Amino acid sequence: MTLTATSSLPEVAVAAGAQLRRHGITAVLTGGACVSVYTDGAYGSKDADFVIQGKVQQKALDDALAELGFVRRGDRYVHADVTFYLEFPPGPLAIGSDLAIRPAEVAIAGDVALALSPTDSCRDRLAAFYHWRDRQSLQLAVAVARHQAVDLEAIGKWSRAEGRLDDFDEFLREIRRGE
Amino acid sequence: MLVKSMSSPFGGLARTRVLVSLRLLESSFPRELSRVLAVPVSAVSRALARLERDALVASRLVGRSRVYTLNPGYFAKQELAAYLLRMADADEDLRGRTAELRRRPRRAGKPL
Repeated sequence: MTLTATSSLPEVAVAAGAQLRRHGITAVLTGGACVSVYTDGAYGSKDADFVIQGKVQQKALDDALAELGFVRRGDRYVHADVTFYLEFPPGPLAIGSDLAIRPAEVAIAGDVALALSPTDSCRDRLAAFYHWRDRQSLQLAVAVARHQAVDLEAIGKWSRAEGRLDDFDEFLREIRRGE
Repeated sequence: MLVKSMSSPFGGLARTRVLVSLRLLESSFPRELSRVLAVPVSAVSRALARLERDALVASRLVGRSRVYTLNPGYFAKQELAAYLLRMADADEDLRGRTAELRRRPRRAGKPL
């Protein structure tokens, strides 16, 4: 897929993830860009965060993304025509202390990338709400739950283990408020 | 050059002591850590930047100060906290400095 100034964040994120896959690099989309994919771009972010799994040479990453037009500037990859940038926060892929994360596949225009599942994307944003009281993160989790089928029982069990059942109840109330 | 007299498993003595200090203080900011550790603010800031890049610490703006804590989202946060507390057992000087800081009265309403 050719990226242009009008490419949306989900298009950019999935194109980048798919490009990495083609080069044998396993990278999982997380964070706000993952929410954007699951809400059809309704919720935005300025960047796409990927967690790389396994060892990858810097040059291999640079070369793979260069084919899409991204160049490395410090810790991020920028594109001359695209307003969004790519970042690779350190792994491991985890949500809180949970390391048993099974990525899902997301597809746009023939490109297929790895991403957190909708349930894990919810947990990812809820973790930010639980840890930082960040209400925007709560709203992002709610948005994913409204747009996608998520396993609320699993999220509830995880919230209990994190000692955040009260906050989980608030999450449920917010989901139902929009119904 | 100082003789290495303390284990520094986090890539350098400054980073290790910053982490141990954050464990003891729970949250802090570069200037305060600089006073506690008796090292320049620039050295503390460099250590914090590296630790943040490794997701071991997290920061946020509180008023006009950037406040640092151990990263509550780190996958091994409990194990890290326990390990740092054990490291603190071996650093009596640092424990004394942080305890002194916590005992010092602070003006009501003053950030941190």
